[in-house]
Amino acid sequence: MSNITEARTEDEDLKYVIFCQKGETDAFEMLVERHQKKMLNIAFRMMGNYDEACDVTQEAFVSAYKSIKKFKAEAKFSTWLYRIVVNYSKNRLKQLNALTKREGISIDDIQEVRTGAALNQSFISNSNPGMQMEMREREAHIQKCINSLDEGYREVLVLRDIQGFSYEEIKDILKIPDGTVKSRLSRARNSLKDCLTKVIGDL
Amino acid sequence: MKNCDDIKNSLPLYLDNSLTEADKKTVEEHIKTCPDCTEALTQLSKTKKMVSSLTDVNPPPWFKQKIMARVREEAEKKSFVQKLFYPLQIKIPIQVFATVCIAVLAVYIYRTGEEQMKEVVPSSLPAPVMEVQKSQLPEQKLESSTGKVIQKEEQLAQKEETRREIIPSPATTADAAKDIKRQATPDFKTDRYESAPAAESELEKKKSEHIMGAAVKASGAPQAQSSMMKPNILLKVSDIYIAAEEVEKLLTKYEATNIDKQMKNGKTIITAELKNQKIRNFMENLKTVGQIREENIPSDNTEENITLTIEILKQ
Repeated sequence: MSNITEARTEDEDLKYVIFCQKGETDAFEMLVERHQKKMLNIAFRMMGNYDEACDVTQEAFVSAYKSIKKFKAEAKFSTWLYRIVVNYSKNRLKQLNALTKREGISIDDIQEVRTGAALNQSFISNSNPGMQMEMREREAHIQKCINSLDEGYREVLVLRDIQGFSYEEIKDILKIPDGTVKSRLSRARNSLKDCLTKVIGDL
Repeated sequence: MKNCDDIKNSLPLYLDNSLTEADKKTVEEHIKTCPDCTEALTQLSKTKKMVSSLTDVNPPPWFKQKIMARVREEAEKKSFVQKLFYPLQIKIPIQVFATVCIAVLAVYIYRTGEEQMKEVVPSSLPAPVMEVQKSQLPEQKLESSTGKVIQKEEQLAQKEETRREIIPSPATTADAAKDIKRQATPDFKTDRYESAPAAESELEKKKSEHIMGAAVKASGAPQAQSSMMKPNILLKVSDIYIAAEEVEKLLTKYEATNIDKQMKNGKTIITAELKNQKIRNFMENLKTVGQIREENIPSDNTEENITLTIEILKQ
C-alpha cells in the first residue's frame, strides 16, 4: 500500500522536475510545497535549531533548483532532495562547531530558547498548559541527546526513527552501505538510550 | 555464547526485527535469562517511541514564498549569464552591437574631421576642373602624347579632391578629362603658348600663389596643383541658386558660349567662354549680382575668347 503511494508520489515529483528542467520555474513551487515540511524537519532534528534549520532548508532548495538539470531520475527525487538537505545540515553544523570553538559561543545556549519558541507553535492546539510545558521540556531533552550524537549516527537516527525512512531509503539518501546503516543505527539508539536515561532518569 | 555487550549491540536492531533468524533466536534466548538486557531492551523501545513521537515543526509563514523568491532570483541570474556567455544565443547580438558602435563612431569621426578640414582649407579652394586645362596647356603642348597628360591630370585632380574629402565619382573625373581634351584642342593653335610656354606657366604659378595665400600653404598642397583648380572669379552672394541663374542670364546676354554649370558642396561653378570685348561689360553687370571677391581674368587682349570660371559661394 505504502509502496504504491510512494510510487505515485515519485511520479508526481518527476512531472514537476521535468517542467523545471525545461525552465519552468513555477513548477518548482509544487516541489517546495510537497517537501518543505519534511526537509525542514530533517534539518531541524539534525541541527537542533529552528532558525538554522530554516536557513539550511532554504539553501538546500535553492541548491536543488540550481542543479535540477543534473537530476537523472536514477533515484527518487525526494531521496535526492533529502540528501541535499542532510549534507547542507552537516556542513552548517561543521561551520557552527568551528565558530563555537573559535569564538567560544555555544549554539546550545541559544538553541533551547529558539527550539522552545519554534515548538511552541506546534503546541498551540494543545489546551493543557501543564502538559505543554512537560512535553516541551521532554522534547528539549531528547533533542539535546540527539545533538550529542556524532553526525554519522545522528543522521541515521533522524532518518530512521524520526522520519521513518526504510533502510533502503536511508542507504540511498546517505549513499552508505546497508551494513553501515544498521551498525550506525544500532550505536545511535544505544547512545540515545544511555543519554536519555541519564538526563530524564527512569524512562 | 555471546556476552551481554554483544547482545546489547544487537538489541536496537532486534527492535526493528532486522536481525537474521539466528541472531534473533540468540537474543530472545538471552533476554529470557538476563534481566539487565531485558531492561535495556525496554528502555530502547521507550526511547524509540519517544523519539518517533517528537512533534514535527511547521515551516514559518511565507517559507515557500521566500524559497521561491530566491529560486526565481537564481533563475534570472542563470538566464542572464546564459544570454551573455552561451554561444549563438547571444554572441550575435553582441557582435551586431559592436558593429553598430564602430559604424556610428566612424561616421562621427568622419563628420568631425570634415568640419576641421573645412576650417583648414577654405571652401573657395576647390576650383573647377576647367582651370586645369588653362594653366597646364603649355605642358600639354610640350608633351607629344596628349592622352598621357590627361591621364596625369586626372590623377592629380583626383588626389586633390580626395585630400579635401570631396569624393568625386569616377564619372565626374572622366567628364573633366574629356573637357580638358575638348577645351585644349583649339588653344593649341595659339602662337603665344608655343613661343613661350615655360614663361607662361611660371607666370600662372606666381599669380595663383599670390591669390591663394596662406590657406593653401597651410593645406600643404603643391601650389601648381592648387592653381589648376583656381577659378577666375569668386562671387559671394546671399542665394547661390538665384545668383547662378542671374549669372547664366548675363552670360547669355553677352553671347557667351560653352556655358556649363556644376553644383557641388554648396557652391555653383559656371564656366563659359566669352568674347574679349564683352568682358568688361559683363563684369560690371556681375557686380550687381553679388560681391566679387577675387578676379583673375586673363588680361591678354589678343585672345578673342576668354574662358571664365565663376564660382558662386554663399556669403
